[in-house]
Amino acid sequence: MPAVKRDTIAAIATPPGRGGIGIVRVSGSGVADLVEGVVHRPTPPRQAVYADFLDANQIPIDTGICLFFPTPNSFTGEDVAEFHGHGGPVVMDRLLGRMVELGARLARPGEFTERAFLNKRMDLAQAEAVADLIDSASRRAAQAAMRSLAGEFSAQILALDSRVREARMHVEAAIDFAEEEIDFLGDSELKARLEGVLTGLGDLLEESGRGQVLRDGLDVVIAGAPNVGKSSLLNRLAAEERAIVTATPGTTRDAVHAEIEVQGIPVRLTDTAGLRQTSDDVESIGIDRARAAIAGADLVLAVTDAAAPTVDADANLRECERAQGTTILVVNKIDLTGESAGQAGETLRISARTGAGIDDLKRRIAELAGIAPTESTYLARRRHLQALEAAQACARRALRRTGDGAGELAAEELRLAHEALGTIVGTTTTDELLGDIFSAFCIGK
Amino acid sequence: MIIHPERFDVVVIGGGHAGVEAALASARAGASTLLLTQSIETIGQMSCNPAIGGIGKSHLVREIDALGGAMAVAGDRAGIQFRTLNESKGAAVRATRAQADRSLYRGEVRRIVESQPNLSLFQQPVVDLWVEDDRVRGVDTAMGLRFMTNRVVLATGTFLGGRIHVGLETAPGGRAGDAPSNRLAERLRQLPLRVGRLKTGTPPRIDGRSVDFSVMEVQPSAEPRPTLSFLTSAADHPRQVPCHITHTNPATHEIIRAALDRSPMFSGAIEGVGPRYCPSIEDKVVRFADRQSHQVFVEPEGLDTPELYPNGISTSLPFDVQLRAVRSIRGFENASVTRPGYAIEYDFFDPRDLAPSLETKVIEGLYFAGQINGTTGYEEAAAQGLLAGINAARAAAGEPAWCPARHEAYIGVLVDDLINLGASEPYRMFTSRAEYRLRLRQDNADFRLTPVGRELGVVDDARWQVFTDRRARIDRLRRELHGQRVHPGSDLARALERESGAALAKDSTLLDLLKRPSITAAALLEAGVAADEAALVQVEIDAKYAGYIRRQDEEIEQSQEDDNAPLPSDFDYASVAGLSNELRERLRERLPATVAQASRVPGITPAALSLLRVHSRRHAEADNTVDDQAQRA
Repeated sequence: MPAVKRDTIAAIATPPGRGGIGIVRVSGSGVADLVEGVVHRPTPPRQAVYADFLDANQIPIDTGICLFFPTPNSFTGEDVAEFHGHGGPVVMDRLLGRMVELGARLARPGEFTERAFLNKRMDLAQAEAVADLIDSASRRAAQAAMRSLAGEFSAQILALDSRVREARMHVEAAIDFAEEEIDFLGDSELKARLEGVLTGLGDLLEESGRGQVLRDGLDVVIAGAPNVGKSSLLNRLAAEERAIVTATPGTTRDAVHAEIEVQGIPVRLTDTAGLRQTSDDVESIGIDRARAAIAGADLVLAVTDAAAPTVDADANLRECERAQGTTILVVNKIDLTGESAGQAGETLRISARTGAGIDDLKRRIAELAGIAPTESTYLARRRHLQALEAAQACARRALRRTGDGAGELAAEELRLAHEALGTIVGTTTTDELLGDIFSAFCIGK
Repeated sequence: MIIHPERFDVVVIGGGHAGVEAALASARAGASTLLLTQSIETIGQMSCNPAIGGIGKSHLVREIDALGGAMAVAGDRAGIQFRTLNESKGAAVRATRAQADRSLYRGEVRRIVESQPNLSLFQQPVVDLWVEDDRVRGVDTAMGLRFMTNRVVLATGTFLGGRIHVGLETAPGGRAGDAPSNRLAERLRQLPLRVGRLKTGTPPRIDGRSVDFSVMEVQPSAEPRPTLSFLTSAADHPRQVPCHITHTNPATHEIIRAALDRSPMFSGAIEGVGPRYCPSIEDKVVRFADRQSHQVFVEPEGLDTPELYPNGISTSLPFDVQLRAVRSIRGFENASVTRPGYAIEYDFFDPRDLAPSLETKVIEGLYFAGQINGTTGYEEAAAQGLLAGINAARAAAGEPAWCPARHEAYIGVLVDDLINLGASEPYRMFTSRAEYRLRLRQDNADFRLTPVGRELGVVDDARWQVFTDRRARIDRLRRELHGQRVHPGSDLARALERESGAALAKDSTLLDLLKRPSITAAALLEAGVAADEAALVQVEIDAKYAGYIRRQDEEIEQSQEDDNAPLPSDFDYASVAGLSNELRERLRERLPATVAQASRVPGITPAALSLLRVHSRRHAEADNTVDDQAQRA
C-alpha cells in the first residue's frame, strides 16, 4: 500500500485526436468503487475485461476494455484503472465526466507522474525530468485552456476573482469587525453582487461550452526571416498548395494555417510573416501577429536558409527562444548547398523543395507531441471549466445563505468559491484579504 | 557572580500575560518552574485597555481555558461588563468580551500564580542569557545572581528597547511607567536572530468625575451574561457597570490636523510599524479624511477608581493637543486627563526564526512568547505563553513538543501564521485568519483541547470532571435525539411546525431535524421536547455545522499528508524551473518549512505546489542517501 491515502484523479491518457483508441485513466483510493460504478462486471486484477461503460442511468457511454491494477503494482503505485474506449473526443469527455460524477477529480498536469514519483515508483534520478514534465505540462495546459476557451477568458476570470474577493472583504469585515462603524453591505446589496458574480460565471461557462470547435492537437508555428522557405515548408508538410510561395521577401503578410496529421496526431500548422525590420505598415502588422503566434505555440520550427545565413537569422532565433513551447532549429534549402539531410547537432537539415529530411522532421514533431500525451487542450479546458463550475456551485450556496443571519456560512461558501478560482489565477491569502479590509474601512478602537 | 542553589527545569522571564501562562503551564505540566519578573506587583498587569476577549480573541481565551490556563477564570472574576459579540451570527463567530477591573484582574492572576505548586517567584531584572554551544545554560540578573537552567521562556513584551513618544519628546521606557529592559535587549540583539521594530499606542486616560455620561450612549452588560471560562458562571462575576460610547467630531479632527507637524508619527521620529486595525486617532483622521466622526468607547478602569480608558483615541500627539482634542468630544468638555497618551516603539524578534514549538531555531532551550514575537493583545500573548510553557516543560522531561495544527486550534493558526509569515505589523487574531473557522469555535474548545490537555498533564482533576460530565450529558442527549423519530402529522411534528414555521413532510429523527436552519434548540424546547438546555444547544450547534465540517474534513485529509513534505531552509528555489520569478522571490523571502506552508504563500498555484512536492522528496531522499553513506563510512 502506498503510505499516503490520496484522492482519486482522472485524465485522458491517450494523445489527443480521433485515432482508434482513447484511454481514460484513474488513480487513487476510490478507484475500486469507481470501476464498480462504470463497469457492472467483476474486474480481476490486470485482466482485460470487455464491458459496457455505463452512465448514471445505466446507459452505455461506450463499450471497451477495462483494466484494473491494484496497488502497489501500478504506474502510480496506487489503485489504477484504465478504460479503453473508442477514442472520439466526445466519448472520451463523457467518460471522463462520468469519473468526476463518481467522485474523481481531474488530474493536474503531470499529476499521474507526480504520484508515481511520490509513491517511489520512479527513481530519484528522474526527479528533474518529472519536475520538467509537470512544468511543461502546466504551461501547455494553461496555454491550451486559454486558446480553447473564449478569447477574453483570462481577463474575465481575473475580473470574477476580484469580484469574489471584494464580496469576501465585506462578508469577512462584517464578521471580524462587527463592532466598527463600517458601512457594511446590506444583505440585498450583497445578494446583488453575488448574483452579478453568478451571472459572470454562467456567461463564461456558457460561452466556453457553446458549440466550441474542438481544436485538439499540437500548435506548430513556422517562423524565420523572410524568404527562408517557411511557406514552402508548410506546403511540403501539408502536401498541398496552401500558402502563396514567391521569391519576393515579405509575401506572407498574414498567418496561414493548415491542419495536418503527423503520425496520427493532429497538428495545426501556422505559417507566419518573415521576421525583419520593416517600414511597411501592413507587413509590420503581420510580424506582430507572427510574434504572438510564436509566443503561444506548442512547437516552433525556426527556419533558416542554408544558402544565405544572415544576421537576421540569429535575431530570429532569439525571437523564437522567447516562445513558451519547444523550438526545433530547421535549416532549409540544403538542395542549394548540397549538405546531407537529417539531424546535425542542434539543427535539422531539410529541403522543403525536394522533400529531403522531411520525414525526420515529422518524426521529431511526433516525438515532441508525445511528451505529455495526457495534456490535451481538451483536458485543460475541462479542468478550468470544473473549477468554474465549483466556484459557481459555491457562489450559489453563498447566495442562498445570505440573509439568514448565518454570515459565517456564506463566508465559508465564498472562501471555497474563491479557492476554486484561485486554482486558475493563483490563490489569495487571508492576509491579503485583511489588507483589503484595512485599506477600505477605518477599523480600530 | 552568585549562583542560585536551586536548579529549575524551566525559567520564565516576564510576568505579563505570556509569562504568567507560560510559568503556570510549565508548572502544571510537572516542571519545576521559576517566574522571574522585574516586579511582582505588576504580575498580570493589563498595560493597554482593560478588556479581555473580542472576536477571534475570546476564541483564544477559551482554548487557553480548555488547556487549564488562568486568563479566562481571572477575566470572569474581574469582569465588570460582559458582552456577546456577533450574537445574530452563527456560533462559530460568536465571541465574548469582558471589560475588566484592572486591579481585580491583577489580584486574581497573582492569587492563581501564588497558589500554583511547582512554581517559584523571584523579583529581579534579567540582564543576560548564558548561552554556550548554542544552548541555554542559565540567566543572569542585575544584581549578579545566576540561575542555572536549560529551558528559558522569554516573555518580555514591549520592554525590549522600549522608547516612548509623546509629541516630539521621546524617552526610553517600558509599558505603563515601567523601566525598559535595555541591557537585555542589547544582549539579545547579539544573538543570531532577526530583530524588527514595531509600534503601538494608548489613549490619554480620563477622570470619570469630570465626564458627562448623560450625553453618551450606554452599553450595559449582556443578559444572559456570558462567561469566558468553561468553569465559571455569572455568579462569579463582580458587580457590573456599563460602558459608554461617544464620538469625535469635525472640531476634534481640526485640532488634530492642525498639530500634525508635532506628531512623531508624521515627523518620522517613529520608525516602528503600527497595527492597521488599531490606528492612532491622528492616523484615522489623515487616512480617512472624509469621516466626520469616529467612535470612542468609554471604558471604566475598575470598580474602585473613577479613571476611564477612552478606547479609540490612542495618540502620540503633544499633551496640549491631546487635552484640547479630548475636550472637543461630547461628554468630555470638562474632562481632566489623568495620564497622557503615548506611542511606544519596541524590539521584536522575527518569529520566522522560531520552530512550531516556539523554541528558537538557533538556540536550543530558548523559547519566545508574546509581544516579543510581534503579536499584540493579551490573548495572543497568553496563548503563546501557554504553548511555550508546555513545550519547555516537555522538552525538560524529554518529551516531544506539542504543536496544534491549524484545524485543531486558533493557537495553531496563530503560531503557524507567525512562524511562516512573520509580523509585518503587530499580529492580532481575527476569525478570518482561520480557514477552518467553522470547527474552531468557542463552544467546542473543551472538546477540541481538554482531552489533549489532560494527556499533556495541564488539565487538573476538577476541570477534567467538569468536562467529562458535560461530554456525557451531550452524548446522552444526542443519542436520545437520534433515537426519537418524528412522524408527520404527530403532535410533536405539529408543535415543531408551529414553533419553527418549517413543514415536516417526512419521517425523520429529532437529531436530523436539528440540522435544518429553521429548527432550533429553542423550537424543540417550546415544542415540548424534554432536554437540558445547555446540552441541547451544543447538540444543535454540532448538528448545524456537521455538513460543513465533513466537507472541511475532506479538505484537511487531502491537504495533510503530502503537504507535510519538508522544504529545508536552504532549499534552492532558483533551481526549481517553472516557478515565476515573483513566486520564487516570495518563497525565498518566507522560507516555508513545508509544502503546506508554501500553499499559503500569496499567488501560489497547484502546479507550483506539485513542483515543490517533487523537489522536496528529491531533497529528502538525497539527504538520506548522504546520511546513509556517512553512517556506513
